[in-house]
Amino acid sequence: MVLELSPTVLDMDWQETARRIELFIKDYIRKTGAKGIVLGLSGGIDSCTVAALSARAIGGNKVLGLMLPEKETRIAKDIEHAKLVAEKFMLKIQLCDITPTLEALYKTLPAFDPADKVCKGNIKARTRMTYIYYYANKLNRIVCGSSDKSETMMGYFTKWGDVAADISPIMDLYKTQVQKLAEYIGIPKPIIRKPPTPALWPGQTAETELGMKYEQLDLILYGLEHFMKSAEITKQLSLKKEQAERIKNRWLSTEHKRRMLLTAKLGYRTVGADFRLMRD
Amino acid sequence: MSCERGNKPANIKKIEKTVARAKKQKADLVIFPELSLTGYVLKDQLYELAEPIPGSSTKIIEDIAKKAKLHLVFGMPELSEKTQATLYNTAVLVGPEGFIGKYRKMYLPTHSVFEEKRYFRGGYETAAFDTDLGKIGLTICYDMFFPEVSRLTRLKGAQIIVCISASPAVRRAFFETLTAARAIENTAFLIYVNLVGIENGLQFWGGSRLVGPQGKVLVKAKYDEEDFVMGEVNYADITPIETFVPVLRDLRPELFDKLKEAAEKL
Repeated sequence: MVLELSPTVLDMDWQETARRIELFIKDYIRKTGAKGIVLGLSGGIDSCTVAALSARAIGGNKVLGLMLPEKETRIAKDIEHAKLVAEKFMLKIQLCDITPTLEALYKTLPAFDPADKVCKGNIKARTRMTYIYYYANKLNRIVCGSSDKSETMMGYFTKWGDVAADISPIMDLYKTQVQKLAEYIGIPKPIIRKPPTPALWPGQTAETELGMKYEQLDLILYGLEHFMKSAEITKQLSLKKEQAERIKNRWLSTEHKRRMLLTAKLGYRTVGADFRLMRD
Repeated sequence: MSCERGNKPANIKKIEKTVARAKKQKADLVIFPELSLTGYVLKDQLYELAEPIPGSSTKIIEDIAKKAKLHLVFGMPELSEKTQATLYNTAVLVGPEGFIGKYRKMYLPTHSVFEEKRYFRGGYETAAFDTDLGKIGLTICYDMFFPEVSRLTRLKGAQIIVCISASPAVRRAFFETLTAARAIENTAFLIYVNLVGIENGLQFWGGSRLVGPQGKVLVKAKYDEEDFVMGEVNYADITPIETFVPVLRDLRPELFDKLKEAAEKL
């Protein structure tokens, strides 16, 4: 008997899920004694959902969404969407255009290659991280990340960039699950429906880069999560040959982006290996 | 109960306050969750926190029970007296006269998010203790998935089976079913007491309960929040179900040999 990969396997009780996430956020704030939350608010579904959940958990006046556009990827609609969510869930927002910072970086990097859009794009994500952590540091708050399970498993993020956070409340939800949750908590429909993008270069969309629709990707990842063999996943979802295998390899080869500390085992107990300590 | 992890004095204080409240309401038996002395997700800190039983912490809890003249069950990491780092996940029963007995968890979950075998040694004995309240059997959390543990406490004569637990929300449905099943199949009262609070992302769901010998939930605590509930155990309720569904009379010991053989060949 094998698991049947129908879209319903991704169904959850959204009320219960929202409640659990809010409890998690509230509890972490209490334990750390932080004065609130700072997060990057791009206007995309993930960050809008996390912003809303954070506001529901600890009150919008303790949640600051930073809108960090830059000229190459700036889309007026995204800023409008971020503002819409801020208004609806009563959280604070701040807009900082990071273009001058990026240009200063490009200018002072001797090896800078404008044609290499991935390297350049990663600078954008890491610059946004720097801004977000500055605010968190200054305001004695924690950073709440918006990464979802699909992009995290795929390694589809910038190491030390958009993924950098103190807590990541929706990291155990696949993108299509985040869409359902977003709908449940009342994120405006246009935000849920627009194509997700990391905004590293103009016209970039996640589904084009990942090579398939999230509906399909999430079922493949769900299968892998449940120890299914890629051949079985391919058969059940009528995929092209080796498609599931490609996703599996990408998932396995990007573990270095998800686990940040690795050293040679030399001592008795080692950081990142067998120092097993409590973190909350 | 939610625990302040690693902070025994704080957790003991909470136990003491709860016992005082229970005393006022004339409780005879007060039960706290698995590892309630320390919290559940402790990782390497367990080595520092574990103590022999009886030991200094059980002594304090014994005094609380003596003073309140009632019985009390709680959980703590136990350090073997014969070694320096062999630990057990243990349930302790104390009463108005002091220490009564302990049970070392037999089934240690080491899968998914659980890593108990990394730290604990499994116990070798099921436990049922004679008290003024009748015979009380002790089990811990994952033991509920293995009917033989509660069965053995019942065969030793326990009419109340206590299960202290630290179960996260994703497993709630399992425990809600299993606790009722263990009560029915043993024609015994089952008291399930679960942790609340969030530890390392695990959200313990609470929902502690007293289940009657027919599987009916007689009292139930809130989900996810600290709560204090009391229920009454009337042993006379066991008699009608023991004749209606006489599971103990109908036990077939020869099957247990087959079970052993089959399990060895799995």
